[in-house]
Amino acid sequence: MEAVLKNVASAVELLAVAAYSDAMSQWDEKTLSRAFHWARYCEHVYTRFHTNSAGRRVVEKQLQHTNARLRDAFADYREVSFMDLPRCEHLLLLALLSNPHLPISTMKILFGKKDVASRYYDYKEVTGLCSHLIQCKSACKVLCPFSGLSAVDADAEVQGEMLMKRLDALLSQGSDPQQAEHFLHSVLLLSEEAAHHSCLVITAALLTASDSGTQTSSQSFLLNWLQKEHGMLQHMGSTLPSAVLKDLARAHGKFRDAYFSALKKWASEMEYSLNDGEWLPEGTAPSLSFQEMVEHFSDLFDACPSLRRNAEDELLALKILDGDFDARGLSVWGDILSELKK
Amino acid sequence: MVSIGSTAESMKELPFLGQIVGRLCWNPYVTVGDTNRGLLLQCLWGLYSENPSNAVERKANQWIRKVLCRLATEEENPAAEILMKSTGVPPKEYHLRVLKKMVKQHQENIGKTCCPKKSTDPSCRCSCDVIQTTSEAFVPLIDCPEASPVICSLLQHPGTSFTDALSEDFLDALNSTDSNLALDETALVSVWYHSLPRLEEAVLDLLESVISTGSAPQNLEQQVLKTQLPKACAHHCSMFLVVNDIFRSILRQAEGNLVVQSVIQTFTRCFLKELEELEPQAKTYICTFTMNNNLLSAGKSQTSTSLKAFFPQSPPSLLVPLLTLPSEMPQEAWKNHLEWLTASLQRLTEQEEEEEDSQSSRSHHNGFETWFLLVQCSHWVQVAGELLVTSEAEPCSPLLWLLTFYYHPTNRWHCRAAHLEEAKKAWSHLHALSSSSVVSPTADHLQPLITLLSPKPQPPSPAPLLTLSLTVYSAVFCRLPHSQSVEFFHTVVHAAGLHHEAACVLRSLQHRLNEGSCSSSDTVHVRITKLQSTVTHMQAGGNSHTALNSRAQEDTPAVTKLSVKKQPLAHVRPLAEFPHNINASHSAEAE
Repeated sequence: MEAVLKNVASAVELLAVAAYSDAMSQWDEKTLSRAFHWARYCEHVYTRFHTNSAGRRVVEKQLQHTNARLRDAFADYREVSFMDLPRCEHLLLLALLSNPHLPISTMKILFGKKDVASRYYDYKEVTGLCSHLIQCKSACKVLCPFSGLSAVDADAEVQGEMLMKRLDALLSQGSDPQQAEHFLHSVLLLSEEAAHHSCLVITAALLTASDSGTQTSSQSFLLNWLQKEHGMLQHMGSTLPSAVLKDLARAHGKFRDAYFSALKKWASEMEYSLNDGEWLPEGTAPSLSFQEMVEHFSDLFDACPSLRRNAEDELLALKILDGDFDARGLSVWGDILSELKK
Repeated sequence: MVSIGSTAESMKELPFLGQIVGRLCWNPYVTVGDTNRGLLLQCLWGLYSENPSNAVERKANQWIRKVLCRLATEEENPAAEILMKSTGVPPKEYHLRVLKKMVKQHQENIGKTCCPKKSTDPSCRCSCDVIQTTSEAFVPLIDCPEASPVICSLLQHPGTSFTDALSEDFLDALNSTDSNLALDETALVSVWYHSLPRLEEAVLDLLESVISTGSAPQNLEQQVLKTQLPKACAHHCSMFLVVNDIFRSILRQAEGNLVVQSVIQTFTRCFLKELEELEPQAKTYICTFTMNNNLLSAGKSQTSTSLKAFFPQSPPSLLVPLLTLPSEMPQEAWKNHLEWLTASLQRLTEQEEEEEDSQSSRSHHNGFETWFLLVQCSHWVQVAGELLVTSEAEPCSPLLWLLTFYYHPTNRWHCRAAHLEEAKKAWSHLHALSSSSVVSPTADHLQPLITLLSPKPQPPSPAPLLTLSLTVYSAVFCRLPHSQSVEFFHTVVHAAGLHHEAACVLRSLQHRLNEGSCSSSDTVHVRITKLQSTVTHMQAGGNSHTALNSRAQEDTPAVTKLSVKKQPLAHVRPLAEFPHNINASHSAEAE
């Protein structure tokens, strides 16, 4: 353990040198290679200790210590945390490229043609490291317009996977569920513009086939969180395509119930407009037209036939509460039911 | 830019250069391909000044660093970036995963298309344009290693062989990329099928690699099989025709090059094996032929249609008899078979010569085709040689004629008679040597043979390959003890300086004997091994460099010509002609 801590400290110091000093202008290809080797070492340390809370605490302590020392040495020093360790290679690259003292010869190595012999990046080989990265990013952008092949985009799918993996880790560590909730908050509730994307990520996370107990419990946790986040649920219900909503309802009973509750709530907030002769959404309800609302109900019942009987009874009960009139425009429940029967 | 000089000057001459280069950096279609990205980077390095002397140059340097840093490290999707930071996933891994997932989605999409597996009705075309759009989408990613599964799927898809589903741009990109796609067998065949230059490249690569290693390599058959060419040709008649056209062309340029001939022979043999697996009934008529010569003439009309399609220019009557392997026939029937073959060949060549006298150009073509078929099936020539040296009686003239024809196909200056005479002389010398009880033949005994083997200055100077072959066969099959035959072989070959050629002949012989092991005995194998090691020693030794160099000079014209011809060969039929053959062969195969 001693050796590990010493190595981590050295690696973090190396990172600082790469970022803030001009000593790295002396680096040749071999030194550069070794620097990246150290970065990979940090990634191994993370893999080893991220589920081991005791070990993790020790490493974190070492990092604090090293950070303090480096803060004294370099004015703009940016601290390295435990969660930065798995991305050490990226941090090193960022450090090097942002450092104005980086010799152009080193840049040429990094941006050179990648080694054709080793098809995948071998950590010993830094030649073409950036080239490969740029190629991947560009390839994704080139293929982006051709998405729509499956319900969820590739990037949403990958993000869903990343989300679930982290959630699994957080929940299995036996740590405070607050931490997991905080995590979900920080990554999913970003902004209005990003809401749709977050919907897709959540969908992907929920639709990944769960073949282990941890995954099921993580998905359950996510669903619980979603039930509390009405805004997100609302967004999902109103923007996701019906096929996706059906899949979600089929896969998760909790979602089905939450979705049904949400639909009822939105329907109850609708007001009948005499001018338009139509039910219109009011207040905080999502701007779904009456027809769309009916379609949502219909799709839900198609996906979950078991829900249908009870749901229809419930809607009927609500219609009765409203006076049990058959005329249009008096009870949203009655109108929904009559549309559904068609 | 290099010629302009400093960055400041470049910027003055081409003021919008910076803007254009900058914009191109953010165009994913430019940055995704290796070549374009490389060129872009070269522009940037060109604009960078090692020692900036003014503000413009300093600014340019700063800008270049910033652009490159952003290109490599900036994340455009803020949500993704936040998630990456909180989950500890580095951008490289993230983007790679996303790319792989996109590729997988496309692959699944291709798998779901409704194109029929193998349509016997060409008018039944797939209506979905998934293949078209996907191939179009992947054009910029042709040299991206992560995209190769989709590219392979596109090439392997059954629909692509029969329709023009693949986009033109895709095929062009495939032609011009020099990256090594990890193509599996089916995809490789598909590439060759759609792209004539690629097929030619593959054939020329094979020939070059064999020729550049000096003499025919030990594992020639392995090399040929590894290229997948025989298998591809067995599936697609049009490919076989193209490959043979290339061989014809090379042969015409490299007359007397044993290595090329052995490649052709090995290739044809491998091809026939593959064809056998596909269509076992192609040569089943053979059994009925062999016992009785009379049957041969009746049998020729039964030559399978598919064989004719593969060998359209060869004389049909000779097709099956030549393609039959000696191992498929009892040894006793060999002599008769060869006599029949020789008689047919003689007839054909005499016809040709008569027509030649009457100025008909078509005859040259036929003559060459006959000889070419013989080159493809040179196992019979070897058998003839074997029989010649093992028979006790007077030289069997049909067999000698066959060998002479093989090594001197053209009757230029009507010197076939002279060649035949020489062959007889060589045979009688060898016969004497191998049957004599002289313990160790002296130089005097061997001198006539060596004289025959040395090249003569004035025409008509026959290349001594015929004599050499006979020498090799004698050494292998004679009944002298090993040491004696090895010694006389060594002396003769060494003095004549024909190491490479001797090695070539030995290896071809060994291949044939390994194939059908019925006729060979252990003694023969041991003998061949001993002779081969002798030759290897000779080749390693540097004593007869002068003789060697003169041989090497004869060989180099062909080699250099081969290395130059990377562009499509002029002799090869243009692609436009092939659609006819493709349809014809497919309708034949579909029956």
